[in-house]
Amino acid sequence: MKTTLSPSANAYAAFSAPWAGLLLRRLVQVVALSMLIGTLCFFMVRALPGDLATRIAAGRYGYDLVSNAAADAVRAELGLDHPAGLALLYWWRDMATFNLGQSLVSQRPVWEEVAHHLGATLHLSAAALAVAFAVGLPAGLWAGLHPRGWVDRATWLAAVALRAMPPFLLSVLLILVVAVQWGFLPAGGGESQASVVLPAITLGLGLAAGLARVARAAMREVVQSPFFEFARTKGLSDVQALVRHGLRNAAVPVTAYLGVQALFLVEGALVVETIFAWPGIGHALVHAVFGRDIPVVQGTALCMGLMFVVFNLLVDAACLALDPRHSRKVAR
Amino acid sequence: MTCMTTLSAIPKALTRRRALQAPVAALASCALPAASAQGAPPSSAPAPLQIVGPWEISGLAPASSGHVFTRMQVTETLLDAADDGQPRPALAQRWRRSADGLVWQFELRAGARFHDGTPVTAPAVVRSLQAAQVAPALLSQAPIESITAPDVGTVLIRLQRPHTALPALLAHSSTMVLAPASYGADGKVRSIIGSGPYRIAVLVPPQQVETVVFDGYDGPRPAIAAVRYLAASRAETRALMAESGQADLAYGLDPASLRRLRRHAQTPAAARRAQVRIESVTLPRTVIVKHNAGLPALRDVRVRHALSLAIDRRGIAHALMGDETLAATQLLPPTLGAWHNPHLSPLRHDPQAAAQLLQAAGWQRSGDGLRDPAGQPLQLVIRTFLDRPELQLIATALQEQWRLAGIAVKVSIGNSGDVPLGHRDGSLQLALAARNYANVPDPTGTLAGDFSPTGGDWGAMGWHSDAVVQALHALMRTNPSPERARALRATVTQALQTELPVIPVAWYRQHVAVGQRLAGVTLDPLERSYRLTAMEWNAA
Amino acid sequence: MSSPPESLRAIPRKGGRTPVAWQSQLHGGAEAEPSAPPRPFRRAWRTLLGGAMLAMLALFALLGPWLAGSPVEQDLRNTLAAPGAQHWLGTDVLGRSALARLAHAARLSLGLALLAALSAAVPGTLLGIAAAWCGGRTERALLMLADSVLAIPGLLLVLLFAALAPGALWAVYAGLSAALWVEYFRVSRAVARPVLAGDAVQASRLLGFGRGYVLRRHLLPALAPTLGTLLAFTTSQAVLALAALGFVGVGMQPPTPELGLMMTEAMPFYEEAPWLIAAPTALLVWLVAAMMLLNPDRETV
Repeated sequence: MKTTLSPSANAYAAFSAPWAGLLLRRLVQVVALSMLIGTLCFFMVRALPGDLATRIAAGRYGYDLVSNAAADAVRAELGLDHPAGLALLYWWRDMATFNLGQSLVSQRPVWEEVAHHLGATLHLSAAALAVAFAVGLPAGLWAGLHPRGWVDRATWLAAVALRAMPPFLLSVLLILVVAVQWGFLPAGGGESQASVVLPAITLGLGLAAGLARVARAAMREVVQSPFFEFARTKGLSDVQALVRHGLRNAAVPVTAYLGVQALFLVEGALVVETIFAWPGIGHALVHAVFGRDIPVVQGTALCMGLMFVVFNLLVDAACLALDPRHSRKVAR
Repeated sequence: MTCMTTLSAIPKALTRRRALQAPVAALASCALPAASAQGAPPSSAPAPLQIVGPWEISGLAPASSGHVFTRMQVTETLLDAADDGQPRPALAQRWRRSADGLVWQFELRAGARFHDGTPVTAPAVVRSLQAAQVAPALLSQAPIESITAPDVGTVLIRLQRPHTALPALLAHSSTMVLAPASYGADGKVRSIIGSGPYRIAVLVPPQQVETVVFDGYDGPRPAIAAVRYLAASRAETRALMAESGQADLAYGLDPASLRRLRRHAQTPAAARRAQVRIESVTLPRTVIVKHNAGLPALRDVRVRHALSLAIDRRGIAHALMGDETLAATQLLPPTLGAWHNPHLSPLRHDPQAAAQLLQAAGWQRSGDGLRDPAGQPLQLVIRTFLDRPELQLIATALQEQWRLAGIAVKVSIGNSGDVPLGHRDGSLQLALAARNYANVPDPTGTLAGDFSPTGGDWGAMGWHSDAVVQALHALMRTNPSPERARALRATVTQALQTELPVIPVAWYRQHVAVGQRLAGVTLDPLERSYRLTAMEWNAA
Repeated sequence: MSSPPESLRAIPRKGGRTPVAWQSQLHGGAEAEPSAPPRPFRRAWRTLLGGAMLAMLALFALLGPWLAGSPVEQDLRNTLAAPGAQHWLGTDVLGRSALARLAHAARLSLGLALLAALSAAVPGTLLGIAAAWCGGRTERALLMLADSVLAIPGLLLVLLFAALAPGALWAVYAGLSAALWVEYFRVSRAVARPVLAGDAVQASRLLGFGRGYVLRRHLLPALAPTLGTLLAFTTSQAVLALAALGFVGVGMQPPTPELGLMMTEAMPFYEEAPWLIAAPTALLVWLVAAMMLLNPDRETV
């Protein structure tokens, strides 16, 4: 395994080319995605049944005050009787100048609304990931090392139960048990630090179940592989062999699985956000779709798409860094 | 995704692995302080009063979210309303009406100040009122010719026609008075600077607003120093927040949470639940079935009565609203005192009478449903919306009860805007809504709008009655004596009960869970204010 | 997550080479034991149990609606009744029999979810195989397509489809399929690539066997176990997505019983009538457990 270059230069060469390719690909993806999402949302929301102006008026003024007079006022104010083609051109022009417009319902800039909601969702997702790592990884690794043991069977059972249980059921049970019986975690709201724990646990447990199973499968494979056996033959103890060779190899499929499940976090967050009154982006998206608030729908969808791309970029980078063989071909 | 590696990678692996472990550790560490923090720590001053309710803050325009700020007593309207709807002074200390009823003069409170320190002047009030004249703000219903400020302490409103309901309109939250500094250059509201006893400390739409006592208020200083409002859309969450002690006032409890809270109140010291008590008040809000009386099937008053007789109101009130006494016997509930007519024969549940009426109207029972002489089945679509969750269940119950009577009804769940839309383009057949008849403290205006000669977006469709229109006009334009007013109201309620242009189903009661920290809690049946200034902390 | 190449798998491993007792557990208890009579029996037992569970569920979904009575008849004086002689699963908030609603809902929800999962599986798998097979530009184009679809939030996609035709079944089903096919694409591509690059397929090709043979004899056996579990999870995912939609307020129109709608309706009563939400949840758990047991090989996700 000798190389002619010095180790640092070798590392640089190993890194730069695939990294550059990776970034370029992702950048192209981002631009294409933005155009696609924006246009798609625009047409779909316009194609939805129900009068746009009336829906927006209902969103603004509520069911006690909405009336045809209010709808007419909204229609005149927002110029909603422009033909769709013209409106689409305006939207493209706005997007090119990074102007996401104003919410039709609350009349605040879309940037502000999306940023506020996005920050909250990111906070929640990060906490849920932490929970998943803390609970799922050790359980999965242990189950992989001790198949048919009680941890293995317990994680199988937990995986089935958690995958089948709706997040809202889990969240209500958690609130009831923890907040009311033991009285130490807040049941809702987004203001205190502690109020992220319950929603994070609800989301994180679902993720942890799948993560445990994937980690188990990856661990089994590593343990049965020749290189691991070679490490043992070489004289490394079990723990050393595991730490130096096993974990890193097991990490690749786990990381790839996380990439697939990234969306689960953001979408599962919708239901959890509604129950815990967490001001997140899924909740805002649903409101916007029902209220026909096109700028907010587009802004939120764009945001979620970009989040997905960024997350995938991180996952790809992690895979790349973990598995140097990928540096020879397009990273996937 | 095969996972073999070479041994020579060890030195690089150590550094790379450590580099990868860092972000994971960072993620975990950001959750650790969250896990160790344990709710709100006790401090020397009592923690802010926490209110949780279903209403979100959608934008800052007074017509959209004015009700949030008037309820929190951050802003004030020109007039207030007592529980029975009679106008009371708020920002206007006194008011006078000219003899012909066309000119109203309001004298403002001398010491009133906005939260930014500027005094409340008539020009500022005029500006707010003029903004409130645009639909759907209710002031647009009044025939106002001009609003002027002859001097700094007086507001003059000139009308085109007499309108006795003007004081009630001026008590609506969309006419709330904001300081001139609240408006941006484009005339839109940029911040809420009101004149109430509380001022805004933190505003995070759409879910949170925090207020503290305004030191420059010219009235008595409230006992509660800081108030927080949180919008939580699920009723279970609100009830749980009350039970866990996180919220002191939880509005909008559903029947299931109510039963649970009552059960827990009876079993003392159940784990560590906070003791909550339930306060209730009947609201002037009715669940109604609005229908298109222009349809051939519904044009016949016998069919409308049959629809009404087939409804088991007691069952619906008992099962879905938790209280059998909420079954409506007429359109307007007893809390609207003057408008509730005790002499009317109550609406009842009588499936046999319904069947007879339908047969008399020409509908033959065939198989599972009714058919007219031409063989067409009686099929209708009822529209409703999800903003109030009980409406969907009530619609399902109605659907089944009408199915038993032979009428095939399909439930279409959409947006609340679909109802006025369907009214305008004539596609509406049936609609289920929860109509607030005291939107404005005096229901006369609402009723006049709903039962006008051309019908109303939330009222009659394809039906009108000259007697009702004239009676409502007389009540609004002239100032009749109490006996005459009573007679006019009786005319209206009698006509509504006999002709059933809208079919009432049930009334509403509002239930609020009150934490043990609070004393002096009263509920406003007109839903205009949380009455925070009357509350105080419990001595315990 | 692919299996080690077949050449290596053929080498039997014994557990006694190193003195650490732990090591024997690693190798000894694994599936790699050569010619172990207990293993086929264990596999058969699991398959049998899974199949039986699934058959019982299918029977319930097919015959239950006929036997259990009407799901729409209401009794407003007998709401939230506990399970008893008259109503085996009690009554819901409108006094309807919970068992009848469960049976009808099982038929509707499971049928719809399975249909959506299958109609996502077929194009997803085919596209994945095509991507792995063709490679190069086709593969990159398909990957970009999959990424773009994946990047549009799945819930948004289903929401928009469902809002196109409120209350119509086909819209929800189409939206679900559009959101779910990508998982099949990714997984089948990941599994197909090493198989197609491996020695066995190369040998078959050299021997002159055509594409159909490779598909039947090499790809499908490799894909079957993974796809099996994925189908289980996708079906339950589809049912949960339907539940989430019902939660948010998009979904079937009343009085159609549907699992998600039932769970949402029953949630406010989790304390006074827990069986109302326990029943649909138990049904889902049963389904997922059955499908996991049916997977004859070791579980992979």
